[in-house]
Amino acid sequence: MLGVFPEVVFTIFGIPVSDTVVSTWIMMAVIVAVILLLRRVKPTALEMLVTFLYDFVSEIMRRPADPFLPLLGSLALFVGVANVIGLVPFITSPTRDLNTPLALSLVVFIAVHVYGTREMGLLPYLRSLASPVFLLPLEIIGQISRTISLSIRLFGNIFSGEIIIAILFALVPLFVPLPLQGFSIFTGLLQAYIFTALASVYISTGLPADEPPVPESEPQLEEE
Amino acid sequence: MAQMDPGTLVTIVTIIVAGAGIVIGAIAPAIAEGRAVVKALESIARQPDSAGDLRTTLLIAMALLESTAIYVLLVVLILLFANPLLDRFFT
Repeated sequence: MLGVFPEVVFTIFGIPVSDTVVSTWIMMAVIVAVILLLRRVKPTALEMLVTFLYDFVSEIMRRPADPFLPLLGSLALFVGVANVIGLVPFITSPTRDLNTPLALSLVVFIAVHVYGTREMGLLPYLRSLASPVFLLPLEIIGQISRTISLSIRLFGNIFSGEIIIAILFALVPLFVPLPLQGFSIFTGLLQAYIFTALASVYISTGLPADEPPVPESEPQLEEE
Repeated sequence: MAQMDPGTLVTIVTIIVAGAGIVIGAIAPAIAEGRAVVKALESIARQPDSAGDLRTTLLIAMALLESTAIYVLLVVLILLFANPLLDRFFT
């Protein structure tokens, strides 16, 4: 009744396209449409959103969040909407498939090294990874295992919530799964929060250790 | 019992292991998260000013603790839905 693996809807040139990829496209269209509409109708709501994300990221990283906000804010928006959109009928949540969280955490894995190299230069960054040389294997194991755990945490939370709802739906279809669906909204938003927080922590561990003071909440918004 | 088909035996053992594994794997992280929450609440009660910092750290720490339960869940799901051992018997 309920497979672990996503169902293949159609194929393009022999590449199978699963239903989670289709729902990712729908989700991206919805996000872009809502953002464009908000920019036209109510720009203060967008500003509140950006300010919230800026404060959140810079509080965790303990430095100004300007270079990191495009990546981390997009991750937060994507994961949050992807977790919640599974409640819409006929749309499977993209994070229900293990491939989507794995791709997101690979992005975080690469971003850690890109930001670290950009801040410190290539050779000092590689030297900081192996500051005592005998800790280099532990560092490599830590980098790989935290990438895997980041993806599996998101996948496991969303997927277990869906399985519990499906089992309850098979037992008592009327009204009983409703509170759990409400709870799954909460879980989805909390997992987006945690995903973004952990990505910020991982990126800030790759940066040099000096701590410039956190400025007051003034993100550099572009004037439209 | 002695006449049992090996595929059936693997299925029975898989179901028992899945049930026992998810029970044990849920107990330990629940206890650990409870201890973390107790400590954080005591600290907030002692110093209410540091509540914001503590809340962020607590959420991250609880996500890390909870991931062990998620690993158990993943193993159990693989055993139940995509068991690699069963393919030898039911191809």
